[in-house]
Amino acid sequence: MVWGPLIAVYLFLAGAAAGAYLAESFISFKYPTDKKTRRWGRIIVPVLLGVGLLMLMIDAEAGFKNPLRFFGLVNNPASVMTIGVYIICMFMPISLVVAVLELFHKNVPRWLDIIGDIGAVCLAGYTGFLLGDSLGVPLWHNSILPALFLVSALTSGIAIVSLLGFLGDESEFEKMRALRPIHIVATILELILIALMLFIAVGKGAAGAASVEMILSGQYAVLFWLGLIGIGLVLPLALDVFTAGTANDHKAGALAVEASGHACVLVGGFLLRFIVVMAGVTMILF
Amino acid sequence: MARYGMLIDTRRCVGCFACRLACQMKNTLGPKEGFVHFEHLETGAFPHVDAEVIPMQCMHCEDAPCQHVCPTGATHTTEDGVVLVEESKCIGCKYCMVACPYSVRMIEEKSGVVEKCRFCWDDELGGPNNPSCVATCIADARIFGDLDDPESDVSKAIAELGAQPIAGDLTKTKIFYVRG
Repeated sequence: MVWGPLIAVYLFLAGAAAGAYLAESFISFKYPTDKKTRRWGRIIVPVLLGVGLLMLMIDAEAGFKNPLRFFGLVNNPASVMTIGVYIICMFMPISLVVAVLELFHKNVPRWLDIIGDIGAVCLAGYTGFLLGDSLGVPLWHNSILPALFLVSALTSGIAIVSLLGFLGDESEFEKMRALRPIHIVATILELILIALMLFIAVGKGAAGAASVEMILSGQYAVLFWLGLIGIGLVLPLALDVFTAGTANDHKAGALAVEASGHACVLVGGFLLRFIVVMAGVTMILF
Repeated sequence: MARYGMLIDTRRCVGCFACRLACQMKNTLGPKEGFVHFEHLETGAFPHVDAEVIPMQCMHCEDAPCQHVCPTGATHTTEDGVVLVEESKCIGCKYCMVACPYSVRMIEEKSGVVEKCRFCWDDELGGPNNPSCVATCIADARIFGDLDDPESDVSKAIAELGAQPIAGDLTKTKIFYVRG
């Protein structure tokens, strides 16, 4: 195992930042007058990404000791990591400007928001390509990961935005329910993509099969079945479907259940990256 | 320009690990660091069994996956086909390590830089300087030289013994193996 938990945290935070930006953008498009909720969602985006980038820098020890070397990261456009740096160089300033505008109660121009949306999709997708371009790790070396990480980024983002809405204003939290259909579809898609990723990995020789074994019945089985599938995906999905009939229920209890559903989604979002990174077995040649 | 490569004959290798040790000395590596590691294989069923030790090190791929993913360009290929890491550019992101299908790269403990076999590249010489694994091998299991020169020892031996890359066409390697 070459890449560890720090990388998993980065992948999660970058995805969550991208997803939160997209969800916030959708909410502001649908409810342009609701500013209170939107505010914190937009301010948290660059914070999430910033903390994630810090993880990357700590993990890259030689660069951490010689920070000037990080400027070299733009040198190889053939590397997905370099492409990721380009994407971050575009998305980070936009999300910062948007956050500052929001902080000072200024309107965010629509065109800027849309460029940010494009950046957010690229950011979430690239985290999948980053692992996907690793010839040495069969579990990662497929084209499912970008789609999987993008969908998972979306669900994590929706969860963050909804939770911030919950902490902010109850009446506005109601409106976050507009995101619910997106969340249901994305969660089902995520389950399918996870299954696909594992099917593909099984067919990729000894290392791919070893990775799948670790996930389904080995050392990550409890985290996978109980944590990711159970708590992270099926439970929030069930809560979403279950509470759909009680859309106008103002009881604090119902809202608390809904909020804990969103917290579960975040647990799942992190566990997905953690399990995929940690179960990445390097190619077995003999 | 030369195109440097190596032949490793596992039928001759006795698994003494002198190549790893010589490499550690020449490249001033710590006791747990090494550019050469070994795969131990047991094949057949009793009583017809066989044991094989396969020394593994950077294959100096012409289509090096490590170089493809290296974001800073620290990993590069010289005109003579030797894949090198420029320490002053390496941030230690370890992307090359997950890209390499042979698991032959390692992190230098002191600097955090990723390193690997460099065919004993000598900056002053501007080329490989008598690779120590070859020089020290007690069984003549290794031959080093120019793959583009049909008259070189390594080219002749590869042709004569039918030496092959260790994992087929996984990548275009410049280390060729003869196995029993």
